[in-house]
Amino acid sequence: MMGWNRLKWFFPMLILAGAILVFILRSSVNDYILSIICFAGINIILAVSLNLTNGFTGLFSLGHPAFMAVGGYVAAILTFPVTRKAMLLPALPSWLAAQQWSLLPALILGGLCATLAAFLIGFPVLRLKGHYLAVATLGFLIILQVLITNLESFTRGPLGLNGLPLLTNLWWVYLWVVITIYVCWKVKHSSLGRSMLAIRENEMAAECLGIPLSRTRIMAFALGAFFAGVAGCLWAHLVTAITPTSFSVIMAFHLVVMVVVGGSGSITGATIAALMLTSVVEILSPLEENLGAYGISEIIISIGLLLILIYRPRGIFGTQEPAFLVKQRQRVSGEVGRSLSYQNGKGGTS
Amino acid sequence: MKRGLFGIFTILAIVGCFAIASLAAEPIKLGALYNLTGGMSSIDAPALNGAKLKAKLINEAGGLLGGRMLEVIGINTKTDQKATAIGAKKALAMGVVAGLGYGDTTFVMASAPLFQRKGVPFVTSGATHPEIPKWVGDCMFMTPFGDDDQSFAIADYTYNKLKARKVVVWTDNSMDFTKALSKFFKQRFTELGGKLILEDFFMMGDKDFSAQIARLKAASPKADAVFISAIPNEAGLTVKQIREAGLTLPIVSGDGFDTELVTTVPGPRLANDVYFSTHTYREDTRPEVVAFIKAYEKEYGRPPENAFAPLGFDAVGLIADAIKRAGTTEKSALRKALAATRGYKAVTGEISYTRPSGVPMKAVSIIGVKNAKYKVLDTWFPKQ
Repeated sequence: MMGWNRLKWFFPMLILAGAILVFILRSSVNDYILSIICFAGINIILAVSLNLTNGFTGLFSLGHPAFMAVGGYVAAILTFPVTRKAMLLPALPSWLAAQQWSLLPALILGGLCATLAAFLIGFPVLRLKGHYLAVATLGFLIILQVLITNLESFTRGPLGLNGLPLLTNLWWVYLWVVITIYVCWKVKHSSLGRSMLAIRENEMAAECLGIPLSRTRIMAFALGAFFAGVAGCLWAHLVTAITPTSFSVIMAFHLVVMVVVGGSGSITGATIAALMLTSVVEILSPLEENLGAYGISEIIISIGLLLILIYRPRGIFGTQEPAFLVKQRQRVSGEVGRSLSYQNGKGGTS
Repeated sequence: MKRGLFGIFTILAIVGCFAIASLAAEPIKLGALYNLTGGMSSIDAPALNGAKLKAKLINEAGGLLGGRMLEVIGINTKTDQKATAIGAKKALAMGVVAGLGYGDTTFVMASAPLFQRKGVPFVTSGATHPEIPKWVGDCMFMTPFGDDDQSFAIADYTYNKLKARKVVVWTDNSMDFTKALSKFFKQRFTELGGKLILEDFFMMGDKDFSAQIARLKAASPKADAVFISAIPNEAGLTVKQIREAGLTLPIVSGDGFDTELVTTVPGPRLANDVYFSTHTYREDTRPEVVAFIKAYEKEYGRPPENAFAPLGFDAVGLIADAIKRAGTTEKSALRKALAATRGYKAVTGEISYTRPSGVPMKAVSIIGVKNAKYKVLDTWFPKQ
């Protein structure tokens, strides 16, 4: 009971501490560092939401950037100033050309469009498993890129939309980081989350227990897509430009790396891996500039990733959350999950 | 989680230290944003070399504004738009007096608007879309000519000098640059009274052009020339395959053909009757060009890789010239001085910003290839 009370206050305090930190940062550091922190936040949203599919449910999806692109483009078209639309997108239907939304509704609509896209492709694609699913989601990403490239009256083709209003700031990113982590945390520790973990460990056993396979998978996929869509909007309004190649296959791999390094299924792990990977690149960049050895940061990071995968093949945290964050009851359920995977022959040392 | 937070603070502290350390320095700083790794590196890396070379030459001659050194800070943006936006903010946070960079419109559009917002001038060394200054604003300056000028130049040459009346146009449909080039060529050529008899398309990375060649052969009435809007990789291949198919009609193009591949891939026997418009640099004998090539070879031990190297050199030259005339590095005075550039003798031709569009008035060279030898045949000047 003690632990429960402690936790009840721990999370609100953490959120408050984060908010104070955001306030201090915004008034003390320069634009450059603020933008790095914003991108780190966006990466947290992406990694944690990708964890829903890749980590919890064991669906290896590479389609996250595609949902970002859907969300990003929808929001970008909606928030684009009317005067600029007239100049850059003359072929836009007049009802769309007259719209100029503020960030929040655009974010939510962008996220919902991404969710819709996830539903549409989820039904056929989620019948596939393992490598096949990875290839199918990759295919979706490429098809979407081609579509955006050729839908010139809405997207301006390969040139993309540029000069978007700079609406994303650290408050918005922080808000969505908190929402994403909160929702994913709740999902993980609910019956839905347990169903997801069960499906990952042993599909047949899960089905025998009465877990609706396809519904649970689509839930995971669509929920992940919503946050990816939101992150895409935040991204577009931070870079202030969006093109068909903004959200690439390389990005998909970076996100998967964050999930794998953090530990498939661990929200804390994904958060920390996202923070680490984003900041290490920037910390190493003065090294590149002073030595003139451009590309060395990529090499150092790759070696680091190899080492992590060799010495901690299940990632930093495995499927678990750090012990002091989890209620006693939940920890027990984690143990059950682990013993289930043990019986399954996959084994685990975390 | 506490440990996590501690980690975050440590990271922030380190990043903060770097930023503060860099603010304390003395010289005149220019932020050079280039994709030094990734897909664009073959275009952007030579440009940064050119830019650094110009800064070195200026410093050796005593610097600017009474002995202040010019420092070109190369920032690698990894052919990634996120890194581009971060790089631009980083340059601005370092207090650069001007930015320069990029050989591609996409990356200019992800960085230049951030400079515009702060009122700091940005000079692109290689992006050629003629509407960039209109999209970004009055802080945006271009070193190269616009795509419209190079297309008009080769269209004029094809019509007036090659006496072609009927053309076939091939376009790489995967890039905005190649699409724009074709658009402006068709516009000018039909305005002159020529006729477009067939349009064909391909994609970047295509290796086999036999289908397009078959249609080119079968075209009736017979084509007098073929315009190929391509980037270097496809430039060599298309010339080779068209000549191998026994077609001898002139092949014309823009600066995508300004590459050794046009002669090395087809070989000396087949590399004939190719004409392209490009920066006044290749095979040019003006003293600026000769001096640049000599300095580049001395500094890097190899000849300049492509025309982006002198363009990077010129971008720094333009900014240095403006600083000299402004007598200060204050951003709005510097912007005004840049906009007032008239007849700056750059390696890639004289630059004047006299047009309302912000695209420089700049000569375009027409280069012909005979038996794998490049020769400057004509120099084209924009009318207004």
